[in-house]
Amino acid sequence: MLTKNDLTRYERQILYTGFGEEGQKRLKQSHVVVAGLGGLGCSASLYLTCTGIGHVTLIDCDRVELSNLNRQILHYEEDIGEGKPISAARKLAKLNSSIEVTPVSKKITERNAREIIRGANLVIDGMDNFKSRFIINKACVAEGIPFIHGGVHGLFGEVTTILPGRTPCLSCIFPEVPQRKVAFPVFGVTPALIAILQVTEAIKLLAGFGSLLTGKMLYFNGDTMDFTFCNLVKNQNCKVCGTKEG
Amino acid sequence: MLQHLAGGQEVVEVTGHTTGECLEDLEGRFPGIKQQLRDKREQLRTYCCILVNSESTYPKELTTPVKDGDQIDIVIFIAGG
Repeated sequence: MLTKNDLTRYERQILYTGFGEEGQKRLKQSHVVVAGLGGLGCSASLYLTCTGIGHVTLIDCDRVELSNLNRQILHYEEDIGEGKPISAARKLAKLNSSIEVTPVSKKITERNAREIIRGANLVIDGMDNFKSRFIINKACVAEGIPFIHGGVHGLFGEVTTILPGRTPCLSCIFPEVPQRKVAFPVFGVTPALIAILQVTEAIKLLAGFGSLLTGKMLYFNGDTMDFTFCNLVKNQNCKVCGTKEG
Repeated sequence: MLQHLAGGQEVVEVTGHTTGECLEDLEGRFPGIKQQLRDKREQLRTYCCILVNSESTYPKELTTPVKDGDQIDIVIFIAGG
């Protein structure tokens, strides 16, 4: 049920054709998990909060460092040393006190991933490494929870939406977890842009309108300002979501 | 991420009977691409994958047969956040 405050606060998005009060109600009833509170996760959780997602869970095990501040816009100089979920949740609560924000200071592992995301309506990828992404990808498939993947490098970014069992998952494309452990270059604008695309997907998926980035990867090249797509096909032999036995 | 190494081209026509031969053709014409795609043992880097007509070629990334008109996509996993 939308309150009088909700109707005022979200007035301009409720006006959008195909969304309306029903769409806003669906967002209010939704629970979104943001896995990782770096450049992607900060921007994503900011827009999930201001758009009125009823419950946002923030997961990260790191503490704020000075070198994060060029892109992780929910953390300020005064927060250096503090846990990222707590730092982010404090800002989000000030932005929108009518939603629930749950900070979780945990490392995502094979053992706890399913438990952390269980019951959520979708998971936003805000992670900064291959391993965690593939753990969450697998957990989302197992729990049947949509997963909106995003990744950045320098001025490059990518986004795809994964609907478990229906569209290709990350392991369909990369059957083995890639290995690469080097600091990556990044401007703050790249994760901001990719995160906003992820949240756009989240809004449409939760409210039930528009078309989604399923079965294709959207690539952004900030060097040339090109957006391109690569079609992806579900791998029936996928170890995570495949349907073939053996 | 490879476009700048191919003179800004997003799509390049290559020749070969397999994905590996097509990749070698590409690498020969645009020096610099090889270093991005292969490790020291000449194997495809783990964060790269090759799709033929949108389908994964795993585990035959370099030996999948191709025919005229096939589309080969080189996908590089972008993992920063």
